[in-house]
Amino acid sequence: MTSAVSVRGLWKRFGQQVAVAGIDLELPAGKFIGLVGPNGAGKTTTLSMVTGLLRPDQGTVEVVGHDVWRDPVEVKARIGVLPEGLRLFERLSGRELLAYTGRLRGLPGAEVDKRATQLLDVLDLAGAQHKLVVDYSTGMRKKIGLAAALLHNPEVLFLDEPFEGVDPVSAQTIRGVLERYTASGATVVFSSHVMELVESLCDWVAVMAAGRIRAHGPLAEVRGDAASLQQAFLELVGANGRAAGTDLDWLGGGAR
Amino acid sequence: MSTEVTGVTEVVVRLKLSLLRNGLRQSGGRRAAYIASAVVALLFAALQLLGLIMLRGTAHAGSVVILLVAVLALGWAVMPLFFPGGDETLDPTRLVMLPLRPRPLVRALLAASLVGIGPLFTLCLFTGSVIAVAHSGLAYVVGVVAVVLSLLVCVALARAVATANIRLLTSRKGRDLAVLSGLVIALGAQVVNFGAQRLGSSGLAQLDPAADVLRWVPPASAIGAVRSVSEGSYGTGFLQLALTAAALMALITVWSRHLTRLMTSPDGSTLQAVTEAAIPERKPTGLTRLLPAGRTGTVMERSLRYVWRDPKTKAAWVTSLAIGLIVPLFNALQGTGSIYFACFAAGMLGIQMYNQFGQDTSAFWMVALTISSPRDAYVELRGRALALLLITLPYATLVTVLTTALLGDWARLPEALGLSFALLGAMLATGAWTSARFPYSIPQEGYKNVAPGQTGLAWISIFGGMIAAALLCAPVIALTIWLNVSEDGDAWTWLLLPAGAAYGAGTTWLGLRLAAPRTAARLPEILTAVSKG
Repeated sequence: MTSAVSVRGLWKRFGQQVAVAGIDLELPAGKFIGLVGPNGAGKTTTLSMVTGLLRPDQGTVEVVGHDVWRDPVEVKARIGVLPEGLRLFERLSGRELLAYTGRLRGLPGAEVDKRATQLLDVLDLAGAQHKLVVDYSTGMRKKIGLAAALLHNPEVLFLDEPFEGVDPVSAQTIRGVLERYTASGATVVFSSHVMELVESLCDWVAVMAAGRIRAHGPLAEVRGDAASLQQAFLELVGANGRAAGTDLDWLGGGAR
Repeated sequence: MSTEVTGVTEVVVRLKLSLLRNGLRQSGGRRAAYIASAVVALLFAALQLLGLIMLRGTAHAGSVVILLVAVLALGWAVMPLFFPGGDETLDPTRLVMLPLRPRPLVRALLAASLVGIGPLFTLCLFTGSVIAVAHSGLAYVVGVVAVVLSLLVCVALARAVATANIRLLTSRKGRDLAVLSGLVIALGAQVVNFGAQRLGSSGLAQLDPAADVLRWVPPASAIGAVRSVSEGSYGTGFLQLALTAAALMALITVWSRHLTRLMTSPDGSTLQAVTEAAIPERKPTGLTRLLPAGRTGTVMERSLRYVWRDPKTKAAWVTSLAIGLIVPLFNALQGTGSIYFACFAAGMLGIQMYNQFGQDTSAFWMVALTISSPRDAYVELRGRALALLLITLPYATLVTVLTTALLGDWARLPEALGLSFALLGAMLATGAWTSARFPYSIPQEGYKNVAPGQTGLAWISIFGGMIAAALLCAPVIALTIWLNVSEDGDAWTWLLLPAGAAYGAGTTWLGLRLAAPRTAARLPEILTAVSKG
């Protein structure tokens, strides 16, 4: 089995704080891969370093066999990215944003426009294509970001919290597109802290906590004997069985 | 009932005070800025007060005072449109969950509005105005009523305008408008300056016709009443006072109605537009078709769209365009100008090349992901420079020609143009290089142009860059001086046009060439620097 992404000894510190503390990871190609962990586990930092948007302190990253930092020409053409917490060019309309991104990627104009029309249709954005992105809702922003990431048909797609703050209808649309994309043999790597989502979507997961990988492998393997991925995850990060305690005993019940 | 009313008023006034205090607690700098602005405002108010008292008894005191009050009231009316974030209690939708009746709420909000530097400043001015025109005991009594009434009119006016426009103020368009407010104020200051100069030359009598109308317009009518009573026209005075009171009642009614509607109807921003699909397909504009294909044209198109659509970029451009035109032309008009001032246009517009990636904000990641070689970075930077030149070259030429025409110094046109082009090239070169080497964030909200903690970077970038640009121009400047001082040099000054243009093009090319590998090598660092704030 070939690796889509291969990470070795990856470190990142911000001042005193260690965000990513030595990650080694091989992500198999052609899978729907979930990177799960609580807030602050280092998921965004890891994905930023893997996609070349943040320089690691130490370690190497290879995407489909090419080093991200030494061979950016090969890597950047093969990956699509939807980061979290970074803006888009929001003063462009949805269609203009796609036209801009596609042409920056070096695709011929006619081809960009054809693909953009199809993506806007499938992602249910055709009606809002001439609206400025600054006026889009969260769900629409994620969808236009996804369209921009898919436009050049990348081999590996990195999505940071693609379902965060997205309504159920948009989430289902995104899901449909991603499932079709992986079915064709492409790889999706996405981060999330919603276990149910990861469990229902992914066939391979890596669990992150406090800057380290706690477990990784096919979903069934990581889940093990636990009833759900949620349970397995809580056991892994050691947050299970925290008693509710006797505080808040006034909450609910009769007297106000 | 009455205890409940004072209760609400007291709570809202306390809320206003807490908001003021907490705002100050956020940072030492903000506190210092607030105290400084308060001191300046009060000093200014005190000076005005003194000035108005000194105005007492002069021929046109009445007209001056009425105009002053009218201008101040206008300020109260437009202020909430430009500073929507200034007063959180101005947004009554924040109180919508509380069980409050409209009448006590209106009273409470009105009382809260009277707390602050603005109302105090206004109070000082109104008091001074009354002192300036009151000449009898009765006039002073009317004056007290007039001050209270007109202050309330101002405050109610601000509240009514804010409430009526709350949808605008909380929408994206409203926030965009707020970014441009600095410009409006700067232009307004120019108008006031111009008006003051005209008054200085032709006397205060010019004010009288305007004052004759305004003394019937509230709240200036209240001060008009003081003047009328002083002159013995009691009937007129009473009418003017009644007019002010009626205006106050009308404003409060309008405000109260808007408030009730606002607090009992759903927020329109969450309703989905049904007619979205009806927007017609936009045809590519003529400009788009003229731009070159590939990355160059794509980058140019995006840059030019941002000049028009992004409020921060637009404000920066309009400022540069205005100053670049005003400085050489006004100096030429006043007869103190030199044709070399025309270089101001090129210099001001060249500044727009600085911090290119900061202007992208964190959306720079989209650019970073498509730059994988120094060649990509070079084409990106060149595209941005070309977009800038598309506006700047004709504009700088126009300003230079206009300045020359005003001065009638046509012989020097070629050298002024040559200097402009050389300066523009140097600015583009240093701008591209500092964009790569010293990028910093431009916060999208508010008026700041530098994120906290990056002020030093911004200084290095802009001022270091400008000094470097001036040094880069030194050969062309030296050549200009040499040709002007040497004998028969005048015959050859036309050479400075092609020489300056070639020099500018050369430095630009060199600057882009040097900046490109730095940009390509520092993409993650640039992204981190421009993503703050």
